[in-house]
Amino acid sequence: MFIYEKKLQYPVKIKNTNPRLAALVISQYGGPDGELGASLRYLSQRYAMPYPELKGLLTDIGTEELGHLEMIGAIVHQLTRNLTEEQIKTAGFDSYFVDRTTGVYPTAASGFPYSAASMAVKGDVIADLTEDLAAEQKARVTYDNILRLSDDPDVNDVIRFLREREIVHFQRFGEAIRLAKEKMDQRNVYFINPAFDKP
Amino acid sequence: MENEMPPAQQCGDGHGTLPECAPLSVPFVPFQQTGSKRFETNMALNHGTLFPGLDLPFRSKAEPTNAVQSALNELQALEFVIVELGLYLDTHQNDTEAFALFRQYVDMESQARKAYTARFGPLRQTDAADGRTYTWLKEPWPWNFQEGGAK
Repeated sequence: MFIYEKKLQYPVKIKNTNPRLAALVISQYGGPDGELGASLRYLSQRYAMPYPELKGLLTDIGTEELGHLEMIGAIVHQLTRNLTEEQIKTAGFDSYFVDRTTGVYPTAASGFPYSAASMAVKGDVIADLTEDLAAEQKARVTYDNILRLSDDPDVNDVIRFLREREIVHFQRFGEAIRLAKEKMDQRNVYFINPAFDKP
Repeated sequence: MENEMPPAQQCGDGHGTLPECAPLSVPFVPFQQTGSKRFETNMALNHGTLFPGLDLPFRSKAEPTNAVQSALNELQALEFVIVELGLYLDTHQNDTEAFALFRQYVDMESQARKAYTARFGPLRQTDAADGRTYTWLKEPWPWNFQEGGAK
């Protein structure tokens, strides 16, 4: 189960509103490589995992990603506080505003709503962990791109923190593949899928 | 798994260990070595990692950050080290030094949390039971930020 903690993992304190930037950052809320997809991917993959290290790591990283989802929601919310009539007409934000006002909705910056088709659960140890390595890299690139597009220091400070987490998670998933491999057939790790076949 | 991690400190902290004869067609990420250098608590939160060897910023520009400016931030910094050590221990469960550190931080966090909630109110709904009234609903919620506002 989950218990709510009334605080963020890392402080989010955005001084200036910026609807155009909010319309970009929302992609890490509900976009193809966003935090919602990340948490659902890991928390869903863990059921098929045969080894305790993998169950634990997917649970712990999946849980941290839920905290990141909340941080992204906080950024989008704070960037769209007290908007003026003029600001809601900002190119890039107006099309979001017409559908959601200033509610926070899981969508990609392109307007495509969150889709579970952007993540995978394959039920195979190496396939799923390799997907996770790629997922961390894709999220890292999205944060790189936000840093290219944003000149708000309050936002960038949080984005840099989240970007660094992707790198640490990549390292841990890489180590997890190594731990899994050691428990598998040493001559041919593809001999069976230990998430399904009886060894 | 432990015997696969000989000390390779001569390579520096940003390097880890790989098997000598690695099988084909399996992805390999080097194992982080035991006894890696660590940032102190607040710097870990600022950098987004406890480990300088994993600190790989975009355009390798280390921006000056100071995320720790309040009692809440101090608690967040302690809890961040616990999260980071927890993930490390998930893949290094036999690292006794890291586990000792984990225990030490969990102890510090539980004391800091008690002091924080006594002063500023509940972090979990059940913390509200310690007060005379139901303070769980008290503003601000975590996503709210008013400049010069509460906390």
